[in-house]
Amino acid sequence: MKILEIKDLRKEYPGFLLDNVSFDVEEGSIMGFIGRNGAGKTTTIKAVLNLVHADGGTVLFEGQDLWANETACKMKIGLVLGEFNYYKRKKLRSIAAVTKRFYPDWDDAMYETLLKRFSLNPEKKISELSQGMRVKFALALALSHKAKLLILDEPTSGLDPVSRDELLDIFRDIIEDGEHSILFSTHIISDLEKCADYITYIKRGRIVVSTDADSFKDAYRLVSGETEDLGQFRPLLIGYRAHAFGFTGLMRREDAERAEGLKVAPADMESIMIYTEKEDGHESAAE
Amino acid sequence: MKALLNKEFKLCLHPAVFIYLALILMLLIPNYPYLVSCFFVCNAIFFCFQQARENGDAMYTAMLPVSKAQAVRARVLFVVIIQAIDLLLVAGMCAFAIVSMPEHNAGGTDHGLSLLAFALVLFAIFNLIFLPSFYKTGYKAGSAFLKGAIGVWIWLVLCEGMMIASNAVMESGADIALFRFIHENIDCMPKTAEALTVQAILFGAGLLIYVVCTLLACRVSIKRYEKVSVQ
Repeated sequence: MKILEIKDLRKEYPGFLLDNVSFDVEEGSIMGFIGRNGAGKTTTIKAVLNLVHADGGTVLFEGQDLWANETACKMKIGLVLGEFNYYKRKKLRSIAAVTKRFYPDWDDAMYETLLKRFSLNPEKKISELSQGMRVKFALALALSHKAKLLILDEPTSGLDPVSRDELLDIFRDIIEDGEHSILFSTHIISDLEKCADYITYIKRGRIVVSTDADSFKDAYRLVSGETEDLGQFRPLLIGYRAHAFGFTGLMRREDAERAEGLKVAPADMESIMIYTEKEDGHESAAE
Repeated sequence: MKALLNKEFKLCLHPAVFIYLALILMLLIPNYPYLVSCFFVCNAIFFCFQQARENGDAMYTAMLPVSKAQAVRARVLFVVIIQAIDLLLVAGMCAFAIVSMPEHNAGGTDHGLSLLAFALVLFAIFNLIFLPSFYKTGYKAGSAFLKGAIGVWIWLVLCEGMMIASNAVMESGADIALFRFIHENIDCMPKTAEALTVQAILFGAGLLIYVVCTLLACRVSIKRYEKVSVQ
């Protein structure tokens, strides 16, 4: 069942167009929303939640129009826009006391459990928390009102690898019951390798692909070859990097299977994104 | 709405509000333009908006299960409550002054319903200019306050200027009907039936202007804020 359906979402700014963005989030899954900085990830998330007024499109949450039923839908959505950076001089206890009054389903016991699990001291001020702890606090607030869908915008950016890994474990735990879903935007692709079930890739305001993580990786191959072969294979390469001994690049799986004389290896998500972003320039600076 | 109002008072209320509300004691200063005390409340409201902006309140609120329209309505109600508290304090101080400070105020409007009426219009002007101006961007509190303050001061100088002028003209012995009417019915404590009637009409008109202007300000603010991208 689809918990979130985004269709033809459109938003135009001077110099940037969110161009008919469409993708779905399945219940009980983690959707990784990837793209480089400025690709339109945050704009998409903000437009979905009506923080930014979209020029067109529809957003359905559990089958109902999210914009027309904004308050009711937001009750079931937990939004974490990076770390919790609001009212930094206030104590966690004060922020939680204000926040909980918005949610009839707020679960005090769950909030206390999450505080303990995340080692958060409610008497501390937001300004006294580390970046990772602020993300955890935002998560604790989002989870305590029993959100069915968590929308996380760059939650792991700026965190150290251990904290990131810890958060990814938490995300997996959250969706384990099959009732929660996560839409997780990031430019740290390695995080998604560890936890995403689906991938939506946005490039310059347009969706390149939206599919399950395995199909996403399986659609591409990393290839490498000699310099003299480059001319022959250049039209098939999505992106490549030339070096002193030849080149390495990315091809669609079907093209790679037909390309004789090249070394072919499975592609990881990070390579897919890097080489796809090189598509227009094709070649990075030769080393 | 209750949860939003709770948020406004718990998170957005600047301590300066209490200090500026306490400036209501200025109404005990003999011969002083008492309307100035209401301007300080406008200043306190500006501080609240500024504090909310600096703390990322727009984004925090946007994450909560409320619409932009509800967020604006709650903030406007928050402003109205602060202004209502100030007006109640002004009324209380006027009642106190009528009993304990019988001397005429030569520095501006006397303690009475006229003062409350002028204060209501002052807040109406501030709300009508400041709120829509702020919600055009959702963050430019400074320029919105400057515009609101200019409107407030024009009204303040006009009101208190007229009262001071009427006082000066009457003291000079000149008998000009308009100034005599102001001196005997508006710029005085409402101790005669005629003065009370005139001031009650003024108060009613002020209240009507306040309600209409504030509702209009709220409506325009919502319309403008709907177009703003919360950053």
